[in-house]
Amino acid sequence: MNKFVTKLKLHNFRRFCHFSVDFNNKMNLLIGDNESGKSSILQALDLVVSGSRSKVETLGLESLMNTDIISEYLAGSKAFKDLPVMWVEVYLNEQNNPDLNGKNHSDGIDCCDGLKLLCEPMDEYGIEIADILKEAEPNFPFEYYAIKFRTFCGESYTGYRRFMKHLLLDGSQINNEYAMRGYVKKMYRANVDDRETNKHQNEYRKHKSQFRDNVLSHLNDRLDSYKFSVATNKKSNLEADLMITEDDISIENKGKGRQCFIKTEFALQKNSMGNPLDVLLLEEPENHLSHTNMKKLVSMIAGAEDKQLIVATHNSLICTRLDLSKAIMLNSSGDKPATLDGVPKDTAGFFVKAPDNNILEFILSEKVILVEGDAEYILMEVLYEKVARNQLDGADVHVISVGGTSFKRYLDLSKLLNIKTAVIRDNDGDFQKNCVDNYKDYISEYVKIFFENDNNLKTFEVCMYEKNKAVCDDQFTTGHIKLQPQDYMLKNKAEAALRLLENKSDELTAPEYIRNAIKWISV
Amino acid sequence: MDKRVILAVAGSGKTSYIIDSLRSSNRSLVVTYTENNYKNLHNRIVVEYGCIPKRIRLYTYFSFLFSFCVRPFLADELGIRGINWDEPSIYTRRIKRTENRYYLNKRQRLYYNRMAGLLQIKGVVPDIKRRLSKYFDSFFVDEAQDFAGHDYNFLCALTPADVYTVLLGDFWQHTYDTSRDGNVNKNLHKDLDSYKCKLKNQGYEVDVKSLCKSYRCSPTVCDFVSQKIGIDIESHCDVETRFEYVDSAERADQLFHQTDIIKLFYQSHHKFHCFSDNWGASKGVDSYGSVCVVLNKKTDDHYKKDRLASLAPKTRNKLYVACTRSRGDLYFVPEKYYLKYKL
Repeated sequence: MNKFVTKLKLHNFRRFCHFSVDFNNKMNLLIGDNESGKSSILQALDLVVSGSRSKVETLGLESLMNTDIISEYLAGSKAFKDLPVMWVEVYLNEQNNPDLNGKNHSDGIDCCDGLKLLCEPMDEYGIEIADILKEAEPNFPFEYYAIKFRTFCGESYTGYRRFMKHLLLDGSQINNEYAMRGYVKKMYRANVDDRETNKHQNEYRKHKSQFRDNVLSHLNDRLDSYKFSVATNKKSNLEADLMITEDDISIENKGKGRQCFIKTEFALQKNSMGNPLDVLLLEEPENHLSHTNMKKLVSMIAGAEDKQLIVATHNSLICTRLDLSKAIMLNSSGDKPATLDGVPKDTAGFFVKAPDNNILEFILSEKVILVEGDAEYILMEVLYEKVARNQLDGADVHVISVGGTSFKRYLDLSKLLNIKTAVIRDNDGDFQKNCVDNYKDYISEYVKIFFENDNNLKTFEVCMYEKNKAVCDDQFTTGHIKLQPQDYMLKNKAEAALRLLENKSDELTAPEYIRNAIKWISV
Repeated sequence: MDKRVILAVAGSGKTSYIIDSLRSSNRSLVVTYTENNYKNLHNRIVVEYGCIPKRIRLYTYFSFLFSFCVRPFLADELGIRGINWDEPSIYTRRIKRTENRYYLNKRQRLYYNRMAGLLQIKGVVPDIKRRLSKYFDSFFVDEAQDFAGHDYNFLCALTPADVYTVLLGDFWQHTYDTSRDGNVNKNLHKDLDSYKCKLKNQGYEVDVKSLCKSYRCSPTVCDFVSQKIGIDIESHCDVETRFEYVDSAERADQLFHQTDIIKLFYQSHHKFHCFSDNWGASKGVDSYGSVCVVLNKKTDDHYKKDRLASLAPKTRNKLYVACTRSRGDLYFVPEKYYLKYKL
């Protein structure tokens, strides 16, 4: 049976005061800006499922607990009973294990399977804590907090109880020796059962002593009272010495990109005993990968079966190719992240196949101007500045060229995420049909279509020429240009736009419908 | 579904009965009261399967009560920190049963003897039943005769319709109570007939036939127990062994130093340097050969007057336990011969 995480709840963990996110049993894409908490979510899952106190201690409560809550507490009553607690709850699907099942979680009413990390002040140090809090300098008693791992049944657990096999793969840690050792150990554990591990370790120790007896003995015979032997202890044992090879070459000696690739591929593989891992947490898998390798990686991830994947990414390609409808967005400040599971199937499918695009930029924006092609895109910045007397970047307005008229695909997302979207399109000779009737299901306070009312002014170039005749005639009658200026503009759209931007940007005037669009979006 | 109580005699194969039943049933829960019997069952299951299979869960009663019944439902709600094994102070009886203070001490530990009562007052018994039937198909309770106080009521309430339930016990081996609390079920073990009657009223089918003969004890031991102590027990074997009342210091010394014969004392066996245990504590042990029962003054007097049957019920039951540990011979030695060894 496939084991997976159904929900994660965070309380005072990192930047989250109260937060809850649902996962499905296969693919989950965490997307969001820097500092939006993608890594925190993966880290929280890793900490709870690992059940490792030392992991928590190494990171330090100081870095894990929400800093706002602590400042707020230190500025307030400073009473013992108000000391903030931090917890992380991982809800699991049905595990058929009574040790995991119970009501000891914040959802309270129903019995669920799950695991919880709880950090709370230790009652027995009430006096010491009060002393620290009394100090004039604000000082928080992190050291008097207990770190507890509990199942929802109320039972304590440690890393030895492997309720679930998981792995966190962090693309940015690829050259870190510690991370590498952690990876090898995890993959080893995932691929053997406990009995086998003990057998391996026992045999390894035996071989070491055989080496001492058979090989080192020649040396030791020559020595008097002091002899040489081979260490077997916590630092030198099987798990410390293991490495992973491909064609007899350690993967540590391969390039970063290749390493990234191998690690992910190995983690996704099944073995004859079944699935080594239940849950794979991937942090920015795009790191170190070339475009081609990234495409390979994506198809590998997309093909992974019977395994839950939680992928944090910045990358549009990864995001769209792995099915946009599985995306969970973390830029909102609310308690629950926005999800794209309401995206119509055909739209999600469109983005899987569509040319590489800036879909992430789009869904992470609050205001967007959608244009048809390169010419509009090139000139939009300068037109915007002229009309709004403000910079595009400063106003947080994004311009996206959809490369055609597939606006509706984007508008499906706008509708779902309430992104204020101005569509600027050509009327192509029939504004009623192309620009009004066509979008009647999408118009809302967030979505508006802007177009030229005069059916004779079919395209952007024609409108621009009308509005800027003198400038265009001046630019496009010179040298080797044999066409009429307007015809030249229509035949060489991007070229013409670029020339206008470079030479005449100060003198350009925006057509009326574009002016309206800019005014509407910048409000 | 089937809901049975099997009243068994000592050495009649309760453990084997459970092991056999485990073979044919799917997911099973086994609860027993004493540590001795827990180890016993644990070993037998390991011998049978090479390990404890995932489908079988074995608990001692209090770990079952605390970790399977109380904690999943009430740990966070009441902020429970653990169990308090001391008897609650008398004054706590005046606290209302609906108040948490009645069940928890100041350090948030649950009084062990009130855990079962807490479950009933908090209304989580239906939850526990659901939990039982979610994870198990059959439910065995060994040493059921020791359930007393709130625990007896709880156990009776705890039989989900779709789980095959068997309670096994030897009424006469009732030497401990799981717990006591005031007058709750105070007279439960007064006599066998009313005990059976009470179980029948709870909807149990009472089976006194299946396990009425002892495999462990010889006809000699069985006859002695039936006639002298007044507790009915029959034997599966037909080989007679020996019963000997030791009446000389020399013979007593000889037995004292014989390391293959366990010396069972009424109490404080650790004060005597030999292979020994206490009568009550030997319950559930199946590994002794011949047994030497050391009689304290009072019991010795009763023996001499042939009035062992009228000993105080607890003492009589413990003596019954001690005698029925024997696979071979049974010796009675008056304690006076061993006083010189006492530390």
